[in-house]
Amino acid sequence: MILLELLLMLLVAYGVGFLYYGLYRNITARFQRRFGPPLWQSFFDSIKFFLKEESTSHGWMFYLGPIIMMSGAITTLFFIPFFKETTNFSGLSSYGNLFVVLYLLVLGPLGNALGVGTGGNPFGAMGVTRGLSRLFALELPFYIAVIAIMSLSGSADISEIAAHQSTMYALAYPLLFIGALFSFIGMMGQSPFDVVGAPVEVYSGPASEFSGKFLALLMSQSAIYTFAKLVLMVNLFLGGAQGFLELLLKTFVLFLFVISFGSLYGRFKTPQSIDFLLKVPTTIAVIGLILATWS
Amino acid sequence: MFKTIKSNFATADVEVKRQDLYKVVIKYDRLSALIDFLYNNYTYKILNAITCTDWIEEGHFALTYLITTEDRSNTFMIQTLVGREDTKVESFSKKFKQAQIMERDLHEMYGIDFIGNDNLKELSLENWVHTPPLRREFDTLEFVNEHLTFREGREDNVDVKAETKRLRALKKAQKEADKKAKEAADASALKENEDGK
Amino acid sequence: MEEGFLLEQKTLEGDLNSETSHQSSVDFLMNWFRKRSIFVLAYGTGCGAIEMPPTFTSRYDAERLGIRGAATPRQADVIIVSGYCSYKTLRRIIRTYEQMSNPKYVLALGSCTVNGGMYWDSYNTIKKLEDYLPVDMYVNGCMPRPESILEGFIELQKEIGAGKASSWQKYEENHEFYRKNQEAVLGEKVEPSYEADWYLYEGGL
Repeated sequence: MILLELLLMLLVAYGVGFLYYGLYRNITARFQRRFGPPLWQSFFDSIKFFLKEESTSHGWMFYLGPIIMMSGAITTLFFIPFFKETTNFSGLSSYGNLFVVLYLLVLGPLGNALGVGTGGNPFGAMGVTRGLSRLFALELPFYIAVIAIMSLSGSADISEIAAHQSTMYALAYPLLFIGALFSFIGMMGQSPFDVVGAPVEVYSGPASEFSGKFLALLMSQSAIYTFAKLVLMVNLFLGGAQGFLELLLKTFVLFLFVISFGSLYGRFKTPQSIDFLLKVPTTIAVIGLILATWS
Repeated sequence: MFKTIKSNFATADVEVKRQDLYKVVIKYDRLSALIDFLYNNYTYKILNAITCTDWIEEGHFALTYLITTEDRSNTFMIQTLVGREDTKVESFSKKFKQAQIMERDLHEMYGIDFIGNDNLKELSLENWVHTPPLRREFDTLEFVNEHLTFREGREDNVDVKAETKRLRALKKAQKEADKKAKEAADASALKENEDGK
Repeated sequence: MEEGFLLEQKTLEGDLNSETSHQSSVDFLMNWFRKRSIFVLAYGTGCGAIEMPPTFTSRYDAERLGIRGAATPRQADVIIVSGYCSYKTLRRIIRTYEQMSNPKYVLALGSCTVNGGMYWDSYNTIKKLEDYLPVDMYVNGCMPRPESILEGFIELQKEIGAGKASSWQKYEENHEFYRKNQEAVLGEKVEPSYEADWYLYEGGL
């Protein structure tokens, strides 16, 4: 029974993730006054890459990178319950709480670093270095906000946190939300914090040496991961969801905000983005933490 | 300035080509001294370009150094003639940094050896083993025929220059014929008019 | 009644879907995905590269047909040889082409790749690209406008959809022929050396 549920969760995340990616490409196209690709273009791309032959060989560690990332994304997804106040679609969340999820969020970049490091592509190594140095700055405001939330709701269980919110934490404690949102934009790889796979600068960064099936794996991974992160954010700050409609609505609103933000702003340099994340959102989150514990 | 240059360096007068462009032809052994003279006594501090012209009929290269004042108001063209075979010329890369790449280019295209330039590697060609391509004894068409294959269908192409000339002549003749016809028509119309009156 | 841009989009896509072919359903599906998603290597080899930005950006928007730029040769399906191609460039093109993973296609732009174009008697430019690389589609003109490039892409998509575009197989089967031609103009050492000598000297390039 649980296996079936996990499979369903995976399918939903895969489908919705690619749907959101298609919407993302269409919406940015509209921002740039273009017509945009078909809605399922990203899905076509990933299938096309699965059909390509593999021509590179860099040893087994190189190929393990995308696989670690994929497993990281899938396990992260399994530990995040989709809905509050019900055991349906809760996956493995009864076996692990928010700490496990926070730990698993780092697994992806780490696996990426291991794989890309053996590839020998200078742009890949550059992308990984950027990613890891940004990661520390990215995590700080997010963790502060999460700690505040855990102390507010008195629990580290995600569904309990979601159920605990009579008014959304985003409205009740806006400073915490804003601080975490900045990190979230970075986690979604959007401007102005998209230094990792920065097009033109480091080409596609960590993905630059991967081809064929492994690139397809990376694309599917990022689709699943995107949805998992959106659901986590909805659970933590937007009061969770009770049905699929509410979940899709809330995740889509969040996603729309993030991509609109991303298409409006230019890219920071790596030191600039670290500087900004350590200064502005961290300060906001700390003030939010103080205010939240004060009252 | 002109007088000093004429008496000390040049064989002929300094020619004023334009208000902001002077030209002088000198012997090669006075080149360095003249450039030093202009550099030290006046504000000619910028080396604009080194160009080379291949005078194959006279059997020499004409090297031209374009030197500009600091405020870019005036340019001195110093031309000197050097031999075509195994040409060895003194490098100015110590005095002007930009000369390094200009000399590298000339070495690649004409085979001129610049003594004192530390990097005369190929610049835009790669593994070139034939005659330097801008020397006039190098026949590009012959080279292409020897090394590359053309796609069929180019044999009936016409010489563009001759063809445009022919077409222009045709057009001109047509125009003149039209003009004459029109004049004749006008004249006859005028005559008719007068007759009518 | 649709008009203007939407109508144009519909005709372009209708062109794509009208393909009738006699292939097995698995092949059909595979080729369908391949033709609907084409990643083009962002690599300009000649003057024609200037026509590619308008093709891929807002004015002509190739992305609506599933054509988009790829950052590295590893991810790309199509390499565009845009215009004249000197020996030095040819070396890089060959290396880049060999780095791409199968199936891969070559689109040649401009009359220079067809017969040398205005560089027909140049000592440093190749005359027929198909002697050195297998070409799937020629788009002629000097230079072809973005409309022509899009049309070339659509023809290429049709060929991919029908399973006819197989230049990469041709390159593997006739590798000796291609390598012989490449060596004839480039010398024994076809691939460029990795070391970049220009930064080793004082003053750089």
